[in-house]
Amino acid sequence: MKKTMHGNIPSAPVRSAKPATWKRTLYRERNLWLICLPLIAWVILFNYVPMYGILMAFVDYIPGKSIFTSDWVGLKHFKDFIHSPDFGHVLRNTLAISGLNILFGFPAPIVLALLLNELRKKKFKQIVQTISYLPHFISWVVVASILFTLLGNEGILNDILLRLGWIGKPISFLGEGKYFWGIITAANIWKDIGWSTIIYLSAMAGVDSEVYEAGRVDGLGRLGAMWHITLPGIRTTIVLLWILGIGGILNAGFEQQLLIGNAQTREYYEVVDTYAYKYGIQLGNYSYGAAVGLMKAVIAVILVFSANRVSKKVLDTSIF
Amino acid sequence: MEQSFLKPSFGSRVFDLCNVVVMLVLSFAMLYPFINLLALSLNDGADAARGGIYFVPRQFSVDSYMLLFQNKHLLSGLGISILRVVVGTSTCVFMTGLLAYIVTIRGFSGRKMIRLLFLFTMYFGGGLIPTYMLMMKLGLINTFHVYWIPSLLNAYYMLIMASYMQNLPESLSESARIDGAGELLIYFRIIFPVSLPVFASIAVFSSVGHWNAWFDVILYNSNGHWDTLQVYLRRLLLEVEALQQVADQQLAYSKYRNISPLTLRAATSMVVTLPIIFVYPFFQKYFVGGITLGAVKG
Repeated sequence: MKKTMHGNIPSAPVRSAKPATWKRTLYRERNLWLICLPLIAWVILFNYVPMYGILMAFVDYIPGKSIFTSDWVGLKHFKDFIHSPDFGHVLRNTLAISGLNILFGFPAPIVLALLLNELRKKKFKQIVQTISYLPHFISWVVVASILFTLLGNEGILNDILLRLGWIGKPISFLGEGKYFWGIITAANIWKDIGWSTIIYLSAMAGVDSEVYEAGRVDGLGRLGAMWHITLPGIRTTIVLLWILGIGGILNAGFEQQLLIGNAQTREYYEVVDTYAYKYGIQLGNYSYGAAVGLMKAVIAVILVFSANRVSKKVLDTSIF
Repeated sequence: MEQSFLKPSFGSRVFDLCNVVVMLVLSFAMLYPFINLLALSLNDGADAARGGIYFVPRQFSVDSYMLLFQNKHLLSGLGISILRVVVGTSTCVFMTGLLAYIVTIRGFSGRKMIRLLFLFTMYFGGGLIPTYMLMMKLGLINTFHVYWIPSLLNAYYMLIMASYMQNLPESLSESARIDGAGELLIYFRIIFPVSLPVFASIAVFSSVGHWNAWFDVILYNSNGHWDTLQVYLRRLLLEVEALQQVADQQLAYSKYRNISPLTLRAATSMVVTLPIIFVYPFFQKYFVGGITLGAVKG
């Protein structure tokens, strides 16, 4: 950049009394706009063009042809999905896995944050926090590797159960569908329980310490203070995260299913996203896959809006 | 918690004790899988297959690691992973930082419009398949560029960086502007040096993301030419593949007879995990600040 860039002083006083038309503003800011141009082009290309690409869900798209010259089929792909034999178990798995995630994964970090908040030794609290963040930074591939090691036939869990004499021969935990939901819920909680406390702890730091003093004078015990002071203090944060969590109820995960699931457990791991991936990309039915993905997104938006309405009515807190 | 002058009651002390025990159990649950992997990876392969290794190796051996670092698949995967982290993180941090700077320049007429253009992408997107079709049309499939170009700018990072830059004194960039410095120069020479903490936290997020990425590799680089370390580890998780790898290696190096898929897998997992374990605690205060800021603004 040359040093003579007087042109782009945005907040410099307008020298003449001429009214600032948009042309003049643009000219004055021309160097700034020049920097912005590639950034704007990037976001349009990589974020907005795929939104337009959603239209392929309504046509019979063939690669090489444009969406507009393809045959318009309306809602055919959506109907096909609903009537397909897979629809039942795909929907069941999606709702079950994300339901379990919300049921157990949502309150778990709140409880942990409450307990961390009660620790008296600062140093100890910090060490526990640092350790609890670790799994968040680990890839799902490594988590899968850990699960294979711990739960495999020669794994520790089988080893302990055999030694205790509770089972006669090793159980194939990862090879049987009935264990899948439990394993994936536990893995999700293990991975993110520590990380999710960050936001609750920062909300707890905002609770006035005088309230605690007052509570103590009034004879409130530790558990009482947690229940009557800390929890209400972070109520807004909890509700906001709850609403956002409802919106993600169809996000039952994706990488974890592909990595931990296998052919024997497909009946229990196939969720909407992996189904769309399988049909849309691996089998090349682009339009069908796009329709499945779009259906999921629309349901998610509806869920967020309903959750927001309910919490506005019941709890008087909402995100919009 | 605020320390009180009141003497803690008996119940309160029992509570403290239980709490500490719970925390110790939790920390153990978080760390144990890695301890177990480490012990396995440092054990003799044939011996490890007998099971019963919990905390320390029974028959110490570094053969798994020796073998790994002679394996050209692993080495090329490691190289590509490192290249991806370096290129992906540096470009993302610098470009997103520039974007964040631009949307914080007071008096710039396009500031709000650009901010909205990016914020919208946080909530709405085209989804997997339309994005895949775009990459195909752009010719990014089976190239290295698919790792860094689509993640060049990030709306969430922009929010975090912009909220940091907003708190910088206006006079910093103002005086440079009066001296006739261009916006790019101001960004590099003034904004960047004083915003180092926020750049560091975004760099941690971004590099961990690039290092851990697995799905986009198998999605966009299906021909295996640009396989990263994560993809290599994933292959070892499939038993048949792992046995094949072990057999290949044993053929090439007869001295590593006692390698089993179990120990090879454990060693590879450690190679993937160790860089993260060494890096993240040092950046903790940055990313904790970042996530709280992002949550407040977003």
